[in-house]
Amino acid sequence: MLANGKGAIRIEHVDKVYDAAGAPVQAISDCSLDIRAGEICMIVGPSGCGKTTLLNAVAGFHDITGGSIWLDDEMLCGPGKPQAQPGPDRVVVFQNGALFPWKTNLENVAFGPVVQGRMSKAAAREKARELMAMAGLSGTENSYPGEISSGVRRRVEIVRALMNDPKVLLLDEPFRALDSLTKSVMHEALLEIYYKNKVTIFFITHDLEEAIFLGQRVAIMTTRPCKPKKVLDVDIPHPRDYSVLTSRRFRELMEETVHAVHEEAVKAFEAGEKEM
Amino acid sequence: MDLIVQSLAGESVREHVIALLRSTAPFAALSDKLLGRIAVIATLERVPRGEVIYQVGDPAKDLYVVASGQVRHALGPGAQATVLVKVVGRGDVIGWAALLKDRSRRLAKTTALEESELLKIRGDQLMEVLGDDPVAAQEVLERCAKMIIEDFTVPAWLAQVQVLPTGKAAAGTRAGGASNIRGLALFMHRISKWLQGPTPYLMVVGFALFFGAWYLLSEVFHLWRFASIPGPHQVLIEWLNPNPVYGLSVYSSEYYIHIWSSIRRILIGFTIATAVGVPVGLFLGWSRTFREYVFPVFETLRPIPVLAWVPLAIVMFKSGAETPVIFLATLASFYATALNTMLGVESIDEAYPRAAACLGASKWQIFRHVVIPGALPYIFTGLQISVGVAWFSLVAAEMVSGEYGLGYVINTSYVNVRYPTIVIGMITLGIVGYVTSALVRMAGDYMMQWRVRELALGGRE
Ligand SMILES: Nc1ncnc2c1ncn2[C@@H]1O[C@H](COP(=O)(O)OP(=O)(O)OP(=O)(O)O)[C@@H](O)[C@H]1O
Ligand SMILES: [Mg+2]
Repeated sequence: MLANGKGAIRIEHVDKVYDAAGAPVQAISDCSLDIRAGEICMIVGPSGCGKTTLLNAVAGFHDITGGSIWLDDEMLCGPGKPQAQPGPDRVVVFQNGALFPWKTNLENVAFGPVVQGRMSKAAAREKARELMAMAGLSGTENSYPGEISSGVRRRVEIVRALMNDPKVLLLDEPFRALDSLTKSVMHEALLEIYYKNKVTIFFITHDLEEAIFLGQRVAIMTTRPCKPKKVLDVDIPHPRDYSVLTSRRFRELMEETVHAVHEEAVKAFEAGEKEM
Repeated sequence: MDLIVQSLAGESVREHVIALLRSTAPFAALSDKLLGRIAVIATLERVPRGEVIYQVGDPAKDLYVVASGQVRHALGPGAQATVLVKVVGRGDVIGWAALLKDRSRRLAKTTALEESELLKIRGDQLMEVLGDDPVAAQEVLERCAKMIIEDFTVPAWLAQVQVLPTGKAAAGTRAGGASNIRGLALFMHRISKWLQGPTPYLMVVGFALFFGAWYLLSEVFHLWRFASIPGPHQVLIEWLNPNPVYGLSVYSSEYYIHIWSSIRRILIGFTIATAVGVPVGLFLGWSRTFREYVFPVFETLRPIPVLAWVPLAIVMFKSGAETPVIFLATLASFYATALNTMLGVESIDEAYPRAAACLGASKWQIFRHVVIPGALPYIFTGLQISVGVAWFSLVAAEMVSGEYGLGYVINTSYVNVRYPTIVIGMITLGIVGYVTSALVRMAGDYMMQWRVRELALGGRE
């Protein structure tokens, strides 16, 4: 069912050292992870372990200091090219949301194709209206992001990303600020979008239930420096809905994840105590 | 629920209740008289530990003020709240739903964490009492609305805050109504809201007090230093005199020549300062290299007061009196504009340019679609300050050199002992300065509809 997915991300032996004022911080060390085309890969790990750093490297917001990252057969960054070029094939949905507050929701959604010069303004708006209607966002087109609730804002942002027909969606704890009810609605909305688009999803979260419910695989990261400690296959078939949450298999997987994450969290905690 | 009811017969209990209400945010500003009337409709109740005060879905009739103890307030599922559970204590108010118009059901479950005393006020009775004093009521509702916004992420709920029985001054309508109008209509809407609120009357009172004090000090009692100052009555007579004693009134064409020359200088100076200052500020914030070249020079020149430039300006621009004056006004407003614009660029959240880059925007497109609009709120703050300093330095410059202008009027009137004319010049300056800065603010609101609408939802107009 997922054979015709879009872009595969290959992360090979990536290192990242921040050098803030002479105090080097090794955020990522020898991290390798294959994300298959069209899969939802969830990234969990202790706070401050370097998940965002990894995502930013894939998106091209900063450089890496070793290894390489590939999108299908194209090297995004690696030897000789430390920083990837951000582009519409890998669109990020930010933790705190980054809809432009000075543009209406419709202008936000239409932004990508217009600046890329792929569509005229009118055509982009037409398509934006269509996509927004499909995502249940009709009626919010002419509001500004500051005027709608945070759940709706997040949906607009995802639609803005999809307008570019990306190969990969990079989500950095996109639903963290939402209450649990809105969150569950967002999960279903995201899955619905995913079933239609087969876009590859790289999704960082702290919420283990969210990780197992959405993901085909869950990569549990070690405490800093970050690399996968364990990659868990979630063998619950898609399409999924909320009944999955009460299934036996779900609970088993949950147990396994909790165990692995807890171990790392304790390590991170102790490391933190030593630093202090 | 079985609550222990205690009657409020005794005078001391009444005092106690008034003191309690005064300690709460929403009722703090009310008069003793009004608080007394609220105290009459309130009952003080004791709730044992663990007792549920109300449940999600219960009909919401009463508002509670916590007098002592601690109460857990847990919002039910579906409430789009920022914080789901909180603990409230003395002086906190719970049970807002009693003031909502359509949603008269409880949204939260509240439980006493220890033995607590609660002041219970019937929502409809409270609205009735408040209805007699729309100004105070507006205050109370506004504060309620603010507290509700802090708790919830859905501002639309604000629209449901009950409209007062008198139909006047409601906190809810402004937020709900403001969301779909733009431009002129929005402006008119705000004017009409403004006229309905207490602000205009307070403003009139403020002016009356000022002029009253001035009048009494200078013309009636001839007090102390004020004795030699022209009083408002004297100034007004001179100002409106068809044959002015000292040569300047609204009937003399010279008066308008002075006003116009000052305005013209401001216009030119402000325009140049904006045309140069905004781009310089944008690039200072945007390009690190540019900043490393320019900023040190900028920061060295900026603290030099404009007055210190006067001699040099006169030497630099020998051609008449006009150019040096304009130069000085331009210089002062340039700094304010450029600096604020730079701060505006720096204030932009990193996520916005990143998002734009993700969506395929080029560097220039990011500049155009993210940096400029993102800095706009600061730019307009800068422009407001910049018209202010432009006037300030203009008048200073006109007093030193110049043949026309309000600063010139003030200075020559002083030299020629025409004291009422000095005051006419000052008041005219005040009015013209106010108008120019209001124009800048209106231009800002017009260009930043998104911000106006956001702020309107935040309860601040
Ligand atoms: N610009 C930077 N300069 C120096 N150190 C940085 C920088 N950005 C992040 N770090 C450090 O790198 C480590 C990883 O940060 P990162 O934000 O990637 O963690 P994270 O896993 O996303 O954390 P969280 O779960 O809290 O979002 C942290 O210890 C952080 O302090
Ligand atoms: Mg992070």
